[in-house]
Amino acid sequence: MTAHLASTLLNALVDGELSVEQAAAAKLHLDECPSCTASALNLALLKNAAAKAGQRYTVPSQLEQRLRSLASSQTRQTPRAPVAASSTLLRTLSAAVAIGAMLLVVATGWIFTQRHAQTSELASVQQAALVTEVSDLHIATLAANQPPEVISSDRHTVKPWFQGKIPFSFNLPENLPGDTKLDGANLTYLHNRPVAQLLYSIGRHRVSVFVEQKPDPAQQNPPKAEHSGFHVVSFQTGDLEFTAVSDVDPARLSGLARALQQSQTPR
Amino acid sequence: MALLRWKRPVHETVAGSSTFEDLALPLLPALYNVASWLTQNPTDAEDLVQETFLKALRGFDSFEPGSNFKAWIFRILRNTYLTSRSGLRARRTVSLEEELQETESGPGLYPEGAIDRLTPELDLIRLSNRAALESAMEQLPPPLLEVVLLCDVEEMKYKEIATVLDIPIGTVMSRLARARASLRKLLDAPQNKESQNRESRDKESRA
Repeated sequence: MTAHLASTLLNALVDGELSVEQAAAAKLHLDECPSCTASALNLALLKNAAAKAGQRYTVPSQLEQRLRSLASSQTRQTPRAPVAASSTLLRTLSAAVAIGAMLLVVATGWIFTQRHAQTSELASVQQAALVTEVSDLHIATLAANQPPEVISSDRHTVKPWFQGKIPFSFNLPENLPGDTKLDGANLTYLHNRPVAQLLYSIGRHRVSVFVEQKPDPAQQNPPKAEHSGFHVVSFQTGDLEFTAVSDVDPARLSGLARALQQSQTPR
Repeated sequence: MALLRWKRPVHETVAGSSTFEDLALPLLPALYNVASWLTQNPTDAEDLVQETFLKALRGFDSFEPGSNFKAWIFRILRNTYLTSRSGLRARRTVSLEEELQETESGPGLYPEGAIDRLTPELDLIRLSNRAALESAMEQLPPPLLEVVLLCDVEEMKYKEIATVLDIPIGTVMSRLARARASLRKLLDAPQNKESQNRESRDKESRA
């Protein structure tokens, strides 16, 4: 049995402040320790009760009125007005820039259409949409700070978990590049279809690898892309498309992608 | 553990609004509530909130739009409290900071064996006594009370609390642990007394 949880850790657990790794470790211990589970429950009840009891005082209407008129008069007298004006200016400017950028995009797109067949344009739009969508999903996973739906570094646990959840199957590599480890996986959705989201860490960088059925076998996605600081690496094997997203050095991300690609073709 | 979270029916600040009025007025109930807990006196609480508003208005130009306004204005409230009459009084009566420093690295949350006596069912009954909890919170020293208020009532993240109180996150965590342990102890204390009374009464009736 692992060591009992420290009181600060129990509190952080109740406050939802544990990192994914800490939460997973804490869960492992709680699963086998009734005494720590009871204290966590006690803390949660106390927190809940304190949140209610702490809501005790209501603002006297007189004070509210006074402060309301104070705040609104100050807003009207505008110590903030120049700033507000400049922010309007800023907004107009950025709108102008945005329109400019949009025009540029449209112009580029137009030239692009002139040069290429319509299908390739459609493909690039789809690719851009995919890149945006996968990085959004990756960021959402990071932001949610939730443990993965299946927590395991064991590929023989993660792979069977997807049985019956997704309409395809894939292999997970046994030998990962150094410093890379499997954290778990989630079931998520891309283009309204269920996909597997594999969660890896390379050092302290988190990586999401989305595995989906190739929507159109003819369509070839460029192997590399970048979106707001995240690198996106994709490759296809058979009917499947793998898309890896991370902020890690692209070379190491490609290393993981290679390991995944190799494991799909049994030797 | 977020399933037990209790939500304050407060209007979220409209994203994108940037006037002082839009940002500060929705927080008035929260500011006044915390001020009242800290000062334990309606007049002082009103003064504290009003001074906070004035300071915040004056310093609003230094507030970076888009950053955390709630943490910013609570920090002003807290600093104003520390230099206020009631804040100074609280600091004079007990040398709380020193006391906290000494015990912050102290033993864990519960004494050995305490957990087994506390079943969650019993706990739930005890915690449903709101008045008892309120009086326990009143007895908390202000440095412990404020972390409970910011964390549980205001639902701030540890990082925000650290900003408001100007202390490291580690200190936020140890204070919270201490605060909750103290609350628990304060809640248990009268209960123990009662049961002792009952036992002695039992003995008397048997004698």
